[in-house]
Amino acid sequence: MEDTRQERQRQEVMVVGVDESELSLYALQWTLDRFFAPYAPHFPFKLIVVHAKPSPTSAISLGDPVIELGDITGVIEVLPIIDADLKKVAAWVTQKAKDICNSRSVHDVTFQVMEGDARNVLCDAVEKHHASVLVVGSRGHGAIKRAVLGSVSDYCSHHAHCTVMIVKRPKTEG
Amino acid sequence: MDATTATGTAPLAAGGPVEESTVVGMVMQEPVAAETKLKMKVMVAVDESEGSFYALRWTLDHLLRRSSPALAADGDEVEMITLVHVQQPFQHYAFPAGPGGAAFYAASSVVESVRKAQEENSALILSRALHMCKESMVKAETLILIGDPKDMICQATEQMHTDLLVVGSRGLGKIKRAFLGSGSDYCAHHAKCPILIVKPPKEASKQ
Repeated sequence: MEDTRQERQRQEVMVVGVDESELSLYALQWTLDRFFAPYAPHFPFKLIVVHAKPSPTSAISLGDPVIELGDITGVIEVLPIIDADLKKVAAWVTQKAKDICNSRSVHDVTFQVMEGDARNVLCDAVEKHHASVLVVGSRGHGAIKRAVLGSVSDYCSHHAHCTVMIVKRPKTEG
Repeated sequence: MDATTATGTAPLAAGGPVEESTVVGMVMQEPVAAETKLKMKVMVAVDESEGSFYALRWTLDHLLRRSSPALAADGDEVEMITLVHVQQPFQHYAFPAGPGGAAFYAASSVVESVRKAQEENSALILSRALHMCKESMVKAETLILIGDPKDMICQATEQMHTDLLVVGSRGLGKIKRAFLGSGSDYCAHHAKCPILIVKPPKEASKQ
């Protein structure tokens, strides 16, 4: 019993950000393979998988925060539909993440879906759980795309207060 | 031993029907993983900054935990890490110190002494890093490269097929406000392999 207590005390928290992209699920899978599977059953980290569900308004405006007054009525009608859709995506992502964790026999994982922009959600999750590592996937966009579309991995590597691991899919693999 | 092989073979069945496009990648990786126990090739970039040594310390503590005595006894489990140190090339033409401001070529003796100093510097850094690895019972190989650190490190990861690159967050450019130095930022964008950016603990408590 004392051993397990010591294990829990030593266990540090790892937050993995996932979204619907294959890349982030690959990042989760890669992390589990390298950092969890070899150490079964005494995993060195407590795993928390966080999905940032975009808020419906941000999903519509795609980064443009100003919604024209005339559009509001039309937008309001559409919002519940979009929200339901986003909830479905969140559920799908969570399920996929659960499947990946189960396939590697990593149990005792916390899955969280938080609403908001991925950048803020992940950095907040790190603070809240006092994580020592944040793992994100990276699309590997070029510099211009990154500047225009914004990059979660970029933001997190700058602003998260913990170690950040950016997992990229090797281009040589099929 | 039986436990690890069991987890290695089980996912082959479970992973099949669940995912569509990623099945091929997973299935190909699984058998290899079960055999080699997924030895991860880790490269840690070290320089004179304390941040990079903290990154090495973090790597040794977290990634290469051999806390279980059973694992330590098994010789296969000890992984190799690669320590890479990049020397900035000494510009042979430099230092317009005179009133005329004209650049002049440094005398060969100056070049030699600078080169020697750099080598000693590298040797000191790497020996300290090797010592840390030895204490954690981790095998390490060292690599000295000459050139621009950002480019050289990214090239080295490609050539050596590194699985994970570890860098400190701030190297020699001590701009305190920035949480991420330009070198680490460059590597985060350009390295083809996953990258781990280790932040020093003091920053976390400052904010």
